[in-house]
Amino acid sequence: MSWSELYLGPGTWILAVLAGGALGMDAVSWPQVMMSRPLVSATIGGWLLGNPVAGIFVGALLEMFALRHPPFGAAKYPDTGPAGLVAGASYAASGGAAIGALLVSVAIGWALAWVGTVTVHVRRRLNERIMSPVGELAADPGLLEQRHRLAIWLDGLRGAILVAAFLVPSVLVVTLAVGTGPSDLGRYAVAALVLGLAASAGAAGRASAFGVRGWPLLLVGAALGLLLVWAGLA
Amino acid sequence: MRQLRLDHLAAWSRTFAIQGSWNYSSLVGTGVAYAMLPLLRRIHAGDPVRLRESVERSMRSFNGHPYLCAMAVAALGRLEQDEVAPDTIEKFRTALRGPLGTVGDRAVWGQWRPICVLIGTLTFLLGASPGWSVGVFLLVYNAGHVAVRVWAYATGWQAGLDVGRLLKGAWLERWAERVWPVNILLTGGVALVLAAVIVRQSAIALAPAALLGMGVVVALLAFRFPRQGGRAGAFFLVLAPVLWLLGGLVG
Repeated sequence: MSWSELYLGPGTWILAVLAGGALGMDAVSWPQVMMSRPLVSATIGGWLLGNPVAGIFVGALLEMFALRHPPFGAAKYPDTGPAGLVAGASYAASGGAAIGALLVSVAIGWALAWVGTVTVHVRRRLNERIMSPVGELAADPGLLEQRHRLAIWLDGLRGAILVAAFLVPSVLVVTLAVGTGPSDLGRYAVAALVLGLAASAGAAGRASAFGVRGWPLLLVGAALGLLLVWAGLA
Repeated sequence: MRQLRLDHLAAWSRTFAIQGSWNYSSLVGTGVAYAMLPLLRRIHAGDPVRLRESVERSMRSFNGHPYLCAMAVAALGRLEQDEVAPDTIEKFRTALRGPLGTVGDRAVWGQWRPICVLIGTLTFLLGASPGWSVGVFLLVYNAGHVAVRVWAYATGWQAGLDVGRLLKGAWLERWAERVWPVNILLTGGVALVLAAVIVRQSAIALAPAALLGMGVVVALLAFRFPRQGGRAGAFFLVLAPVLWLLGGLVG
């Protein structure tokens, strides 16, 4: 695919930005139904660019890397809503078939998710100002409600800005990667992604385990997965 | 009575936005006050001074899992209605923070969400359409999500001060302790199937047995040393496109 074949019109871009706003809000502010998970957000991105299968594939990969980051307490975790949308849309725009484009899309999604984390931090600082002074807000509950809703809208704006700023550059970079064919280093690239997946699965398994005693279950799970592949079911 | 039900419905539905103004000073405290307002307005109707005092109390620093904060909203509303002394309410808030966070994090973020995500992913890998796969994830996850919020709110209102006692050893905690093996099984299975699909899609001749062996070793090491394992995963993730693009440039 060449750049001239690529179509990302203003209508699609506007829809993507609006969806980015909704996804940015969902993770923390409202309504936390988890459409901000990459499995969903990347599928939405792929669907917007006409290839939801490409989108969900990127989303599934991003999920495996995001699983080891549960938002326990004040832990920092990747903001995968807008990032998943951008990554899924980028891979879909590239045609959703080239492995090079997949590798670049997932890496962009992961990097953008951590950029999103920085913006979440900035927003939390901003909320400190919005939700003060306490005495004034307590005296006027209507004002408290207004400020709280403003904070939610600002979270949506944050997600929209992320998509608006990164969607087109990401699509262009991923499309560039489509033009690069397999090389001797290509096999190492694919192997690197597979090993990254394995490392993330191991770390994610530990995050959900109560102690270190669960490791045999990880192997049993992998063996069951192998059976599915051998049986041609997956 | 009908008005009370509507106020409860309003307060419960506001818990979906309880983290909307999350900040480093009061954490979820301002969100708790926002969710409690329909109840507080009714309880302190015609008494702006008491309303102001109760809103100010409600805005103080608080933390907990967002779904289980519905329990705090309802229980604190009950204490305000029963005219419990302010210092007792403050002690109650402090006592509730830890359990609400720990139980919710372990059960919802630690188990329920990853299990549902992995089921959705597996649904796709087994051949379902993206729409079905995402639909399965969202439906299953949110069935549990909404049920937990309903249970938390109803329990909070009924139990009031006894909520802390009820939370210790609650079904949610016991459930999390039992279900984690399913989570790990799914993680191993989905990771392997996903890796196989990538290798197949790449159409590059790789040594599958060697790759499988290395993958198993890396996964087990990452399980033993999760922090380093996670970093290694991110490193490989970034390394992959760099190698690909370098290969393309070098030819």
